[in-house]
Amino acid sequence: MSKRQIIALLAVLGILVASYLTLYKVGAIAELVCRTGSCETVQLSRWATFLGLPVAAWGIVFYVVLLALALTGLQSRFIDSRAVSMALVVWTGWGVLFSAWLTYLELFVIDAICQWCVVSAVLVVIAFVFSALDLRTRPALPAT
Amino acid sequence: MVKQQARSSPKAFYLILGAVAVVGAAFLYYLTQDRGAGAQAVTIDPNVPLPKAEGYLLGKPDAPVQVIEYADFECPVCAYFTTITEPDIRKRLVEPGTISFRYMHYHIPSHPNTWAASQAAACANEQGKFWEMHDAIYETQDRWAGTATRRPKPVLKDQAERIGLNVSQWESCFDSQKYQAQLMASQKDAEGRGVGGTPTFIIGKRMVGHNLSYDQFKAYVDSALAEASAAAPNDSAKKSG
Repeated sequence: MSKRQIIALLAVLGILVASYLTLYKVGAIAELVCRTGSCETVQLSRWATFLGLPVAAWGIVFYVVLLALALTGLQSRFIDSRAVSMALVVWTGWGVLFSAWLTYLELFVIDAICQWCVVSAVLVVIAFVFSALDLRTRPALPAT
Repeated sequence: MVKQQARSSPKAFYLILGAVAVVGAAFLYYLTQDRGAGAQAVTIDPNVPLPKAEGYLLGKPDAPVQVIEYADFECPVCAYFTTITEPDIRKRLVEPGTISFRYMHYHIPSHPNTWAASQAAACANEQGKFWEMHDAIYETQDRWAGTATRRPKPVLKDQAERIGLNVSQWESCFDSQKYQAQLMASQKDAEGRGVGGTPTFIIGKRMVGHNLSYDQFKAYVDSALAEASAAAPNDSAKKSG
């Protein structure tokens, strides 16, 4: 599997996790499966909403864009594109920063850990690592 | 070489990607549909009579719509419902006499301190202050819940003091666990009714097994009122006949 394929797969998993949390947030799923026992505390906190939308819904948007970028990078026209690799690094880098902020809130402000948020954060970090590795395999063209 | 790797069996890759997406989406769909007894509203079994003298009643016992909440003191969603939604329900539906609201215990097995909280509330009820204790317990859930402490009693005792109970009487009641049998009976009642999670509401003839906003709750009450008024002419016809 290529790195971009792995990133696409991670994005699909991320969409599923974010959808699960969003469905709970909007009341379509009654209870979260949560071994830490604190998912509901996190999801019902005031930090679970950002700019009027559930944070998990923003997560869906994030992963859909990531999937689109990764799939674009798999098309023959863009397969060697360094720009796609750069975009993947920037996008997943942003995701890592946002996940770090959310994890900080869970640990030090809300004082509860939601395992699904941790799963999402891990997916983003792995996607970032593969994006960085993908960028390394596509060196910048020498200046003319 | 990069090209070769990236283009390795794209069909297989898209198949795997599609399969993961379809299986995941199907599972999510299943979760939205199958929530045990707590799925969408279900019509309750008329052969299982509703409890008349159990639980803790708020409002007039003969209100047109009877509401029962099965809840767990350690359940965060129940705390959310109690602090965000229930004040509106009390003011706009219970106080005018539209509904009666009965609280019944249903303890979630993974919540280690919920039984202690239920004992605390039952002992407050002895002094006529169940609902004050109920509110105080939910307000302080983050301090006495199993995720915060293994010894919930000091926080619960503080609440007993705060709401003005005779604390020594409350404490001897709490330590004796004298309401254990009553709490277990409530648990059995809930299990017999198919309650699978909290909060679960019985509103008129419907059972709803998830959190409700005020508007959703009111919609169920309106529906129960409509059903009751539709049934009323039949009842009076029977009586006169």
